[in-house]
Amino acid sequence: MDNILSILIFFPAIAGMLGFVVDKNSAKAYGVSVAAIELLLSLWLWVLYDGANAGMQFSEFIPVISEFGIAYNVGVDGISIFIVIMASLMTLLGMISLDSDLKKMKNMIISLLFLEMTMVGVFLSLDAILFYIFWELSLVPMLYIIGAWGGPTRVYAAVKFFLYTFAGSLIMLVGLLAMAYLFQVESGIWSFNLLDWYTLKLTDNEQFWLFLAFFAGFAIKVPMFPFHTWLPHAHGQAPTIGSVILAAVLLKMGTYGFVRFSLPILPDASVEFTPFIMALSLIMVVYTAMVAFAQKDMKQVIAYSSVSHMGIIMIGVFAMNAEGLGGSVFLMLSHGIVSGALFFLVGVIYERTGTKYMSEFGGLATVMPVYATIFGVMLMASVGLPLTIGFVGEFLVLLGFYKVSVIGTIIAGSTIIIGSIYMLALFKKSFFGPVTNEKNYGLKDLNSKELTVLIPLVLLVVWLGVYPKPVLGPIDNSVKALLVQMEDHAQSESTKEAIIVSKKEVK
Amino acid sequence: MEIGIGHYLILSGLLFSIGFVGVLRRKNLLMLFFATEVMLNAVNVAFAAIGNYYGDLSGQMFAFFVIAVAASEVAVGLGLLIVLYKKYGSLDLDVIATMKG
Amino acid sequence: MESLVYVALFAPFVGSLFAGLFFARSPKTHLVGIVASGLLALSFIASLMLAIHVAEFGAVHVTLMDWINAGDLSIPFGFLVDEVSVTMMVVVTLVSTVVHIYSIGYMDHDKGYNRFFSYLSAFVFSMLILVMSDNFAGLFIGWEGVGVCSWLLIGFWYHKADRPFEENPSISPSWAANEAFIMNRVADLGMLVGIFLIYWNIGSLQYDVVFEALPNLKDGILVAIAIALFIGAMGKSAQFPLHTWLTDAMEGPTPVSALIHAATMVTAGVFLVIRANPLFSLDAVAGVSFFIASLGAFVAFYAASMALSARDIKRIVALSTLSQLGYMFAAAGLGAYWIALFHLAAHAFFKALLFLGAGNVMHAMDDELDIFKMGGMKKVMRGSYIYMGIASVALAGLPFFAGFYSKDAIIETAFNDGSFIIWGILVITAGMTAFYSFRQVFFTFHGDERYKALGFHPHDMYKYVLVAMAPLAALAISFGWFMEDFREFITRNLPDYEMSHHTHHWAWLLGLLVIILAVTGIVIAYKKYAGTGKEAWKRDEVFEQSFIYRLVANQYYVPKFYDEFIVKPYTIASEKFWAIDKAVVDGSVDLIAKAFYKSGDVSRGMQNGNLSSYLNWMGAGALLLVVAAAISAFIG
Repeated sequence: MDNILSILIFFPAIAGMLGFVVDKNSAKAYGVSVAAIELLLSLWLWVLYDGANAGMQFSEFIPVISEFGIAYNVGVDGISIFIVIMASLMTLLGMISLDSDLKKMKNMIISLLFLEMTMVGVFLSLDAILFYIFWELSLVPMLYIIGAWGGPTRVYAAVKFFLYTFAGSLIMLVGLLAMAYLFQVESGIWSFNLLDWYTLKLTDNEQFWLFLAFFAGFAIKVPMFPFHTWLPHAHGQAPTIGSVILAAVLLKMGTYGFVRFSLPILPDASVEFTPFIMALSLIMVVYTAMVAFAQKDMKQVIAYSSVSHMGIIMIGVFAMNAEGLGGSVFLMLSHGIVSGALFFLVGVIYERTGTKYMSEFGGLATVMPVYATIFGVMLMASVGLPLTIGFVGEFLVLLGFYKVSVIGTIIAGSTIIIGSIYMLALFKKSFFGPVTNEKNYGLKDLNSKELTVLIPLVLLVVWLGVYPKPVLGPIDNSVKALLVQMEDHAQSESTKEAIIVSKKEVK
Repeated sequence: MEIGIGHYLILSGLLFSIGFVGVLRRKNLLMLFFATEVMLNAVNVAFAAIGNYYGDLSGQMFAFFVIAVAASEVAVGLGLLIVLYKKYGSLDLDVIATMKG
Repeated sequence: MESLVYVALFAPFVGSLFAGLFFARSPKTHLVGIVASGLLALSFIASLMLAIHVAEFGAVHVTLMDWINAGDLSIPFGFLVDEVSVTMMVVVTLVSTVVHIYSIGYMDHDKGYNRFFSYLSAFVFSMLILVMSDNFAGLFIGWEGVGVCSWLLIGFWYHKADRPFEENPSISPSWAANEAFIMNRVADLGMLVGIFLIYWNIGSLQYDVVFEALPNLKDGILVAIAIALFIGAMGKSAQFPLHTWLTDAMEGPTPVSALIHAATMVTAGVFLVIRANPLFSLDAVAGVSFFIASLGAFVAFYAASMALSARDIKRIVALSTLSQLGYMFAAAGLGAYWIALFHLAAHAFFKALLFLGAGNVMHAMDDELDIFKMGGMKKVMRGSYIYMGIASVALAGLPFFAGFYSKDAIIETAFNDGSFIIWGILVITAGMTAFYSFRQVFFTFHGDERYKALGFHPHDMYKYVLVAMAPLAALAISFGWFMEDFREFITRNLPDYEMSHHTHHWAWLLGLLVIILAVTGIVIAYKKYAGTGKEAWKRDEVFEQSFIYRLVANQYYVPKFYDEFIVKPYTIASEKFWAIDKAVVDGSVDLIAKAFYKSGDVSRGMQNGNLSSYLNWMGAGALLLVVAAAISAFIG
């Protein structure tokens, strides 16, 4: 299985092509089975993956335009492997959760499969151009999903999502091209290979501008304050499946970009920009959590809470130590699983009642106890309760960030307070109290389809909360290697000081 | 007073300006054609004069080319004008404006 | 011994899963209650055996598996059973077992019977993790775990609607649950910061490593760690100003109040201070320790003063819990850790008994809480009367009962330390304690039978429930007799606290003073509230209008203050931020989009289809180009 990565990337795409000839009625079954095979493949990748090895594995390199050093170049390490697995898991669960009466089911399945290709591709690419291609391609299926199956103002939301992120990534493209040019000037050959770029030493000025260019692309995707406003619109209008994939995977592309590009290529600029990123992230954590508290719409609460949690991930990335960085990679996974599950859960009630307004509910715990229980578990994971998946990442990030700034940690740490404020307020408004709305008496509890989707997520939340080692171990290894690489690569002494390389040995 | 390159260029410039103003101001398509012809001929004058000044024949050669192209253009253009006139009954540009954005 | 540790720890967890997984949706069955109680009893027996083992052979330390390994951080699931934790384990499992059995009767008519046992056992599991963990992160797991279980149990009757603050100061169970959770989280942030401080300065979170490394740290860091950890303790143990959740937590079922909000969870903060005694007894943090003692004394008095006028039977007990927690902190802050732990254990027994007795009264009175509506119930509820009487005597600190020994030791400690202000406050509070606890007893069981006019038909609890409460009653009476044995056992791990000769000399007089005050309190309460017929108590409307009465009855307006100055501004700020988010942040993005749109809309006018105007534009463009070329040529 030397080319398992290529199979992972292109299997969904080929299956998506074939999807055009599949019968309309069996489209969902087809999609589910393809996604299941993809998930099994990605799990197989995990089996084959050598967790003790921190470097890139299963690399494939096929020159495409050799004059400019553009190649089909993929590889996987501890940072990307679990995001890929999560992406395929979320796609599978999303497929299962689809309502079988959905209009244009076939189109949805095909879009999802193409989306899966782009998501997997982004996280596996080691070539800047390939990365960019997948990065941009991921917009198209999402645009279609929001635009075709969304709510009343779906076109506005979809176009906003597309143009906003597209504008950012064009600036990023300029940065990538400039980077390749600088590499050519320095070494005499063209290359878009990330691993080549890691060796390039750039001046402070060059790093400054390149960082800004990358920042434009990644920050909008994350989305960082104040570039976050496309997200509530997109979530508000997107169908459940769209929100799930968006929150679980697409947002992670931004933070992953920071980890994969900004930090190792531009270590000095990254350290230099840390206060700036920190300021934005802290605003993001506190401000959006407060905005979440003010929401009337359940889905918007979770959308804004997503932004708030992404702020925690950002400060972890820029903590520049193994605890913080490893924690934030882990938090990417846990946020993906938890927010994905929360969006599924909101989708459940929306499907039944046609509304997402908390004022329409109240006392749901009485009518739908199983639903309330699973919601409660996810809520607790979201507020970072120990022994759930949410705690491990959040704890590590805050722990790591403490080394950077004490005050910053206290402000960011307030997320455990304000996070529980909006989440518990949501839970109280919707689930507690007497049943206020007559219509809600007849609501049915979760059916077997929904349980199939949610139970695996609950199990994951508990399993990785109690025993995160199988995932955290490989992440930790690769993160340590990344930090060592950064320190070697850094030029100014102050940067070297800011980067804390773990005392434990890295293989 | 001897007529030098300067005079020819001034003449050419004047002719070109006349043609240019005509292009900008006239509304009749036929008149526009005349105006462009005037501009083309202004350039021809300049070509010939400059060619003579440098003792290089390519200037005059280009003038001939331009005359040839202008002639064929007028042939096609006038044909189109006749069709347009038959269709709209007028050659006024305000009347035949159809591609409004 | 290792297996015993796991039996003690996981038996409640099994009980919780048994109730939660298999019976969550099935109708009420006594099987669940019996199995859960049985497993708790198993856990208690295992704890007891461990205690014997620890007494003979010393501490047991086991490591289950790794939890978090990242960077240089490594946190295992490790459990340390030493003198301190085994004391806690025995207390927790004993009280839990009694409360479980009690709940079989108390929750008999409740629809959520199975769910209740699932939560209650889960709570015990979390509490055991808290006390048994061998590192700060494990402590934090338990810390948050008990928080969640407390949230679930306070909000157990989640279906009740919100009522205005004036009618019910706790608003609703779900509101009280959220308040408790969020307020605890405020403190947990302090605790987290303390953990971070420890990690970055010492590099480990294991107790043994940390305590060994403490003396090498700078004073400033030690003080910061002590403050941060104590902030955590303040939340769980409901110390001022994070105390309001505890009285509101009384919205939960009474067994919950007895177990969580009296005997075990709220003492976690005291436990933390005792556990971290190598830190708090350092000279560098003497200031913090003294602050802890002072705050404890303040809270003891503050809570007792509120209990004087409270009418809600559960609130009175809750406030007395708060007050007794203050005593414990006073002792711990003054360095008498073993006395604090002794009082913690004694308090757990008599307070749980008191709460369960109050639960019997509520059960009999159809969940009526107002003591003004009770009276003269000793005839119909003999068993409960005796139990509450014993518990109140113990709480009041009359000689030979458990509370006498432990509380007297604390008061003596304050005297010995030379902190006479703290001593004075604690002595006065002891008198108040006797007064309010007997006020409650007399209101409920003596005096006119006011309930009759209101149409209540009280009857005592099931026999087996009353029998199950007997161990607590026995311990409430006798626990103090084992003080010297306890001291010998516990001081192998905790620093001993020796009274000076001077204090020894005065000890009998101090004890007598406290007893006199307590007896005075009881006598006043008897005179005022226990009479019948002509002697009967009458409401004093004039006094109820006085400033002091209203101040105390409204909890010194602290909840109002929080509502007015924290909750409301936060809500308003959130709304404002949302408006800003829509108008300014999103607005400016839309503005850019609109700018493009508008410019297109305006320049669309060029495309009017008129060849003549196109030519004009072209001419203008050409001219512009010529000018630009000329300028650039000129500059170049």
